[in-house]
Amino acid sequence: MSSVNKENVKKSKDKKALGRMFIFPVCVLVIYGILFTIDPHKSLMALKASGNILLTIVLPLVFVFVIMLVLNLFVKPAQIVRLFGKGVRIKGIVLSVVAGIISMGPIYAWYPLLKSLREEGAGTGPIAIFLYSRAVKPFLLPVMIAYFGWTYVVILTALTVFAAIAIGCFMSVLMKE
Amino acid sequence: MKIAISSEGTDLKAQVGHRFGISPYLIIADLGTGNFEAVPNPGSLGQQGTGVQTIVLAISKDVKVALTGYCSPAARRHLEANGIEIFTGLTGTAGEILESYKKGKIQKAKAATIEREPGKRVVNKAIFIHAMKRSGNQFTSMLPIFLGVVMLIGLLNTFVSRDFLAALFSGNPVSDTFLGAFFGSILAGNAINSYVIGGELLQYGISLFTVTALIITWVTVGLVQLPAEIAALGRRFALLRNGICFLLSIPIAIITVVIVNLVTR
Repeated sequence: MSSVNKENVKKSKDKKALGRMFIFPVCVLVIYGILFTIDPHKSLMALKASGNILLTIVLPLVFVFVIMLVLNLFVKPAQIVRLFGKGVRIKGIVLSVVAGIISMGPIYAWYPLLKSLREEGAGTGPIAIFLYSRAVKPFLLPVMIAYFGWTYVVILTALTVFAAIAIGCFMSVLMKE
Repeated sequence: MKIAISSEGTDLKAQVGHRFGISPYLIIADLGTGNFEAVPNPGSLGQQGTGVQTIVLAISKDVKVALTGYCSPAARRHLEANGIEIFTGLTGTAGEILESYKKGKIQKAKAATIEREPGKRVVNKAIFIHAMKRSGNQFTSMLPIFLGVVMLIGLLNTFVSRDFLAALFSGNPVSDTFLGAFFGSILAGNAINSYVIGGELLQYGISLFTVTALIITWVTVGLVQLPAEIAALGRRFALLRNGICFLLSIPIAIITVVIVNLVTR
């Protein structure tokens, strides 16, 4: 395939992905439309309730953007891959956890990279640790704290890291490495 | 010093690749020993994320200079940020380009994005604008579904009674946690949606056990992404990983809530 064709295919995929993002909110709007014809008063109350939810997380969302910006400024995908551990030893574990935590974007964007890392000899343990550690989202912490409080977030984050390491060890044993 | 030349073939007679990220091969030449090797370029597959793999390949081969026809601004930034100097606008065979470089005839393209001083990293305007654009794209890409979720919750708040939702859950921490883990596994999307949904479920009186299990499995278990994970990492890996993550989410949720209750008591 020529490079021009590849770019066209990529653009087409991007457009499709963009279209898919709007399916859900449009469906919700359609439901609103239907309910508005049945019970306009309650539908307006629902919209107001949604507005109130948005108001409560506007400030955390601003922090989300700021943290995203900082990560994008100082963390590059190539650096994340460099962090990736190649064995279930202390250094490999720590680096895989860090790589998982600072990685951003949808998981499916990382699959091709994980596949090639696997083919280059990366163990299943570090890959499993990386995937689980993605549950810790530094840029979303402001929203999480706004809803659940500091104590909960700190405890869940610590246990998530612990669980990531446990999963890595389980996977290494079960995949017979 | 090692040099990477994007190439259409495996030897020095091959034409230079038009684009660094998607050329079929990278010819890695060692100026010190005079040896060279042709490495298949993972980016030539043209799949999402493969451009990054080309950069990773260059880094892993300890390349210091990249020679190519064209390199996207994003790839250029990544290469330069990792200490790889890039020269673009080159034509001819890989051998000719290598000779030109050795003789110092190739001039560096003007696109410095990061200026480095010893022990100091400076972010210039171009890098900042790029990061702003990237963050903006990431932020706006999560907004449509996020807004949809918020509007849906508004509907649930107004049209669905607390009694109905409470009836779905038995009040038993283990079975409710299991149910939360199940919902988290089948739902997908940005984790922010799980926080909003979880926070609102708490308002409905749903237990923190259930909400915690939902939040954990939302990110760690992916039934929707399972086919993609199987394709990338193998059936056994994907099924085992998702299964273990699901099972582990229940004790993790229970332990989390128990500790939170102990600490905040």
